[in-house]
Amino acid sequence: MKILVVTEQREGKWNKVSFETLAAAQQIAQQAKGSLSGVVIGKGVAALADELAATQLEDVLLVEHDLLERYTPDGFSIALKQAISGTKPDLVLLPHTYQVRDFAPKLAASLGKGMIGDCIGYRYENGKLVFVRQMFQGRTAADVVFVGEPPWVATFQAGAFRADLVVQRQGGKAPVKPVPVELKPEQIRAKPLELFREAKQAVDLTQAPILVSIGRGIKAPENIPMAEKLAKLLGGELAASRPICDEGWLPMERQIGSSGQTVAPKLYLALGISGAIQHVVGMKGSRTIVAINKDQNAPIFEVADYGIVGDLFEIVPAVVEELEKWKAS
Amino acid sequence: MSIEREKLEADVLIVGAGPAGLACALHLARLIDEHTKAGHSPALSPENIYVLEKAREIGAHQLSGAIMDPRGLRELVPDFEKSAPLDTPVTGDAAYFLTARSAWKFPITPPPLQNHGNFVVSLNKLVKWLGGLVEKTGINVFTQFAGAQLIYEGNGIAGVITEDKGVDKNGKPKDNFTPGYELRAKVTVLAEGPRGSLTKGLVNRLKLDGLNPQVYAIGIKELWDVQPGRIATGYVAHTLGWPLDSSIYGGGWIYGMRDNRVSIGLVAGLEYHDPLFDPHEAFQKFKTHPFARKILEGGKLVRYGAKTIPEGGWYSIPRNHMDGGLIIGDSASLLNSQRLKGIHMAIKSGMLAAETIYEALVAGDSSAKTLAAFPKKIEASWIKKELWTVRNFHQSFQHGLWAGLAHTAIQFVSGGRGLIDPMRTRPGYEEYHKLNRPLELVDQSKRFKGDGVLTFDRLTDVYHSGTRHEEDQPCHLVILDPDICRDRCVREYGNPCQYFCPAAVYEMVMEKGAPKLKINASNCVHCKTCDIADPYQIINWVVPEGGGGPNYEGM
Repeated sequence: MKILVVTEQREGKWNKVSFETLAAAQQIAQQAKGSLSGVVIGKGVAALADELAATQLEDVLLVEHDLLERYTPDGFSIALKQAISGTKPDLVLLPHTYQVRDFAPKLAASLGKGMIGDCIGYRYENGKLVFVRQMFQGRTAADVVFVGEPPWVATFQAGAFRADLVVQRQGGKAPVKPVPVELKPEQIRAKPLELFREAKQAVDLTQAPILVSIGRGIKAPENIPMAEKLAKLLGGELAASRPICDEGWLPMERQIGSSGQTVAPKLYLALGISGAIQHVVGMKGSRTIVAINKDQNAPIFEVADYGIVGDLFEIVPAVVEELEKWKAS
Repeated sequence: MSIEREKLEADVLIVGAGPAGLACALHLARLIDEHTKAGHSPALSPENIYVLEKAREIGAHQLSGAIMDPRGLRELVPDFEKSAPLDTPVTGDAAYFLTARSAWKFPITPPPLQNHGNFVVSLNKLVKWLGGLVEKTGINVFTQFAGAQLIYEGNGIAGVITEDKGVDKNGKPKDNFTPGYELRAKVTVLAEGPRGSLTKGLVNRLKLDGLNPQVYAIGIKELWDVQPGRIATGYVAHTLGWPLDSSIYGGGWIYGMRDNRVSIGLVAGLEYHDPLFDPHEAFQKFKTHPFARKILEGGKLVRYGAKTIPEGGWYSIPRNHMDGGLIIGDSASLLNSQRLKGIHMAIKSGMLAAETIYEALVAGDSSAKTLAAFPKKIEASWIKKELWTVRNFHQSFQHGLWAGLAHTAIQFVSGGRGLIDPMRTRPGYEEYHKLNRPLELVDQSKRFKGDGVLTFDRLTDVYHSGTRHEEDQPCHLVILDPDICRDRCVREYGNPCQYFCPAAVYEMVMEKGAPKLKINASNCVHCKTCDIADPYQIINWVVPEGGGGPNYEGM
């Protein structure tokens, strides 16, 4: 059995899941008494191919082209199809990454084949390779086999195999063979733009020592800056009860309660929060709770250490003024 | 979006792992086992039977009073008294008529409310146990999977499509998007409980309604741990009268369970006239009656929940068989509303369905003709015998409590016939009296708040139902025409959804000077009251992502 394992890299750095798939490929090659080749695809990635060549495999195919510098589904599937046609493997294995999900089905279809994706394992029984994949959110697993002629394409789920079980090569590195790729710009229909990274969560409320939390009593989003100002002056963070986040006045990551975060800061200031049990369970561990609410029967007063029955629109500006004076002195 | 779905084929698909669905599965597994041991053909296997359950685990959405007549369970599991998690046998029963301040005890407990020989049970615990028995047979119970759509074929049904998972609140796929499975089966059994969402669609589409429309009551329940000595274990009491006025069908219950646990609740028929009637508030008031207060005072609320009850009786049972499909249990309106008992019928109907299905699998034919054996078996069983004698019971109360009791007395001595047979009714949502209000929201600041010790507001109660849903998903309360809420309903009925929902899901707010409906979908306890009681029938309850909903531990 001839096996090809396609690795993944971005900007010269490995996607480490590639090595989990390599470990799986090595195990299959050993059991099926087959040969294994690695594939590195991109541009200017000879160094990575060299690194891969130190692991136990026959050779490393270096699939390079200017148009492969940035990932595109067309570029990668056309180039890999050429590599596959040239080397005629029986089995092509890839790690089930986001990127692979994007082009592997296309690649398989271009070969006129199906693909078994996101496998959690395999068995090699009586000369037949059986892939295992999950169904019903992991409640059962299905055995899937290929029918028909190779090449067969399959991907393995991240975490299904252990990268540290990759076997290193004995007796020198494997040869690295450049694979000629024919690609024309008009074949590539997607234009990759700037890479972006998801904005990191701006705040971790569980780490804030002081929280100023607003509830329905704040009445309108225009009044939120006042509370934010108070939070800044106190050296704390702004938080909210569910209705505020439901309205979209603050993002969900600021929500405290049973369907939000649970916090226990040194000081929790509850402004215009009624104290419904769903909110209280998220903050009752706070060291000191101060509540301001117009309604003297609001349940928040049962958990508050200090409470003011009053109008937060009078009280908060007054507190802010005192704090500013104190800071200035 | 057009989605490609994975297809699976089963022999039998049962939607709902409640007492009916599980009884069907268990009995069918046994019939298949005997069939296989006897070497019959065709080869059958319990592995080809799938049960779908939308809750996170079996039993999590099960709620009932409950006093169980053991006759159904005795047939399903003959040694149930040793093996089933029964709470306590009934040791004493009583019926009361309440006024605001006093409780008048019926000198003789009316026979339907006599419960000697019956058991107080937690349906949640009972169903969990049944689920364990089913799983041991090799049948797959897929929890956290809901039946989202029926696959209609010809004159019947061919299976179910489960819900798409990982869809965000705008209907777009998230990173973990998984399309629902297309599950095809030779026979699909709908065992969804009262007002099942698939059953509702099926009954409407194939026009399966019986002589009377299905009608429902809402049951609101709390579980309390009380001080020792307040109520005897196994003592069950039912009440009529206060706080319900004579135009509202219903009554209360208090059951003494083991270890000083008490089940207390109120049932109210969903055909009342005042659109602003608040069943949850009525239940909270019920607890303040000296009769209940002296049991609960000093105790602690453990759990809260609500569910609807199919009350219509024999004449409201929909046609329950079709090509490739059967409807059983509460979904098929199989409940004795006079005795307040449906668990035994759910179990029996599950067993009769299993026998019908077994015969169909052996014959290789699951057409309506073969499945017609199911209603015939029901006719020949004690289900019919029992339901026939109370066939006009619920309908008698459409003109009030006293007329209802009078009719019932006459029905009692005439084998259920009474003065009018059959007694026809309208659907409950047609019973509201219009309010003719201005275009102004009803002031919600006066809503019942409770004292936080004996009585509670809905938000506090909802917290104790353990209900949770994935927040970022489409709203599962589909309003077919929200313009009606904003205008007509404000004027004609005052937006009763704010009142009949026991979980504070619906709120009317003013936005930019105009009324708007705000839906807090994640509070939903899956009772289906809104789908039933909305005057315009524009609320369509659909299944949320599987796993969401209440956690009725011990209920």
